[in-house]
Amino acid sequence: MEAKVSPQKFIVPIGPQHPALKEPGHFEFTVEGEVITGATVRLGYVHRGIEKSTEDRNWTQNLYLLERICGICSHIHATAYALGVEALADVTAPPRAQAIRTLVCELERIHSHMLWLGVAAHEGGFDTLFMYSWRDRETVMDLLEGLSGNRVNYSVNVLGGVKIDVDEKQATAIRKGIDFLKERTEHYMKVVTTDETFLGRTRDVGTMTYDQADALAAVGPTARASGIARDIRADAPYAAYPQFPINVITEKGGDLAARFIVRINELYEAYRLIHEILDKMPTGELNTRVPRRIPENETISRVEAPRGELFYYLKSNGSEKPERVKVRTPSICNWATVMNFAIGLKLADMPMILAGIDPCFSCSDRMVIINRSNQSQVWSWEDLRQYGIKHYR
Amino acid sequence: MDITEALQTAQDLLNQWTSGMNTPDLSRLDVLVAPKDLKPALRILQKAHWGYLSAITGIDHPPVPASPDGKQPAKEGSLEMLYHFCEGAAITTLRVSVPYTLPVIPSICEILPYATLYEREANELFGVTFRGAPNTDHFVLPDDWPDGIYPLRKSFTGFDKPQQSPTDRGLPSP
Repeated sequence: MEAKVSPQKFIVPIGPQHPALKEPGHFEFTVEGEVITGATVRLGYVHRGIEKSTEDRNWTQNLYLLERICGICSHIHATAYALGVEALADVTAPPRAQAIRTLVCELERIHSHMLWLGVAAHEGGFDTLFMYSWRDRETVMDLLEGLSGNRVNYSVNVLGGVKIDVDEKQATAIRKGIDFLKERTEHYMKVVTTDETFLGRTRDVGTMTYDQADALAAVGPTARASGIARDIRADAPYAAYPQFPINVITEKGGDLAARFIVRINELYEAYRLIHEILDKMPTGELNTRVPRRIPENETISRVEAPRGELFYYLKSNGSEKPERVKVRTPSICNWATVMNFAIGLKLADMPMILAGIDPCFSCSDRMVIINRSNQSQVWSWEDLRQYGIKHYR
Repeated sequence: MDITEALQTAQDLLNQWTSGMNTPDLSRLDVLVAPKDLKPALRILQKAHWGYLSAITGIDHPPVPASPDGKQPAKEGSLEMLYHFCEGAAITTLRVSVPYTLPVIPSICEILPYATLYEREANELFGVTFRGAPNTDHFVLPDDWPDGIYPLRKSFTGFDKPQQSPTDRGLPSP
């Protein structure tokens, strides 16, 4: 995890600012020639103190605060929190509510994976795939908007259930949209598995073996692409996953190509599950009552976000406000892995490898190369991206 | 391994390093560990390949003054670090408690290198020192965050006066 500074090496600091697409982080890669010999990460440029803020808000207000931790996977945060609070209050949301939660979880996974597919393709210089996947992603965004009224922060959950219902008209629209996306996904799969130029940037690049992924405690698609069958939806099913089990998707390769294949196969799995949930949607109530004061206790709520295991620790003190809320997002785990396995890899591969773990803030636009005579040269993230593309031309 | 079996294995492994255990619910095992026993306990879990470190949660227990009638003695402030290990649905939590007066816990990065991000976070937010940690740089707080102020302690309720603007810190105005 350490970037050791020595006069013979170059340090390449990347980040933290990015004005548009994603979120800021700062990395320093120590390089010898083209090869990376050390890496560190520094976060906090968008640190908002949300864990502290939860201690000043009541249990209901916190649902809306925590949903805003992430704009891409907002629903999964609200789900993890709602399930945790329900466990503390010893209530269970009705089956229909759990099924709707799960349905939105999978729709969110589709939008997140398609967003990632576009970003990762763009970092490698494959802008056609980027534009196709983002165009097609609008289909699922429209479905989410049709269900909840919002494109992000859908606010589907309430403590004790959900606040939206799925009627037959919406179900038909979802089925139609999903079938269109399934057809498009065939095309993506074909591109990422057969296009020689694409494979040149992904096959055997950034390989993380099973043992490495295991030792570094990787989570989510990053772990599954290295053959680790770790998925909270199957390991510790929550919401409606006990009734609608998923098949855990794994690949053995461990390289970037495997990370593409795992996520695209997870899209198919999400399509299948959405059809199944719509076909067998339980009937009944949408929510149940949760008391304002939560009895003193503590609980752990784990869910599978699009990027991997999301971990919530909740401690109540008998009042209307929590004593402590701890959130560990999957990107933190995956940062730890990439900072370790980056050592020995090529700088030109870093844009795609960084994008390959689907970090929730892969972003960085300013880069300074410092050489031993202290002359520095400023690069942008775009420069690094172009450098990577030219390197493989 | 099903949950009960996994938790039983963890219980057997950690028996000699703990001062108390309980199972708050069906999928969880809480193990009280003294700071000096943390590393040996971790090594045992790692050797048996029991789960992975999923998170480190910090909890602040502020000091409680003695009750006026003298029935409740004063309680010293302490910090508790929860090391959550997950194996399938089973969760084993090693609970390490240290007093405000000596908030030092051995770093576990030697055994689990990926723990460094969690330790850096707990270090700056709670003021726990991880002895032997490879990196103690700021992780989420700003570079100019004042020393000795730990925002996730209950005693922190914000700054009295507004923080300096970017211009005051010598940065160009927007």
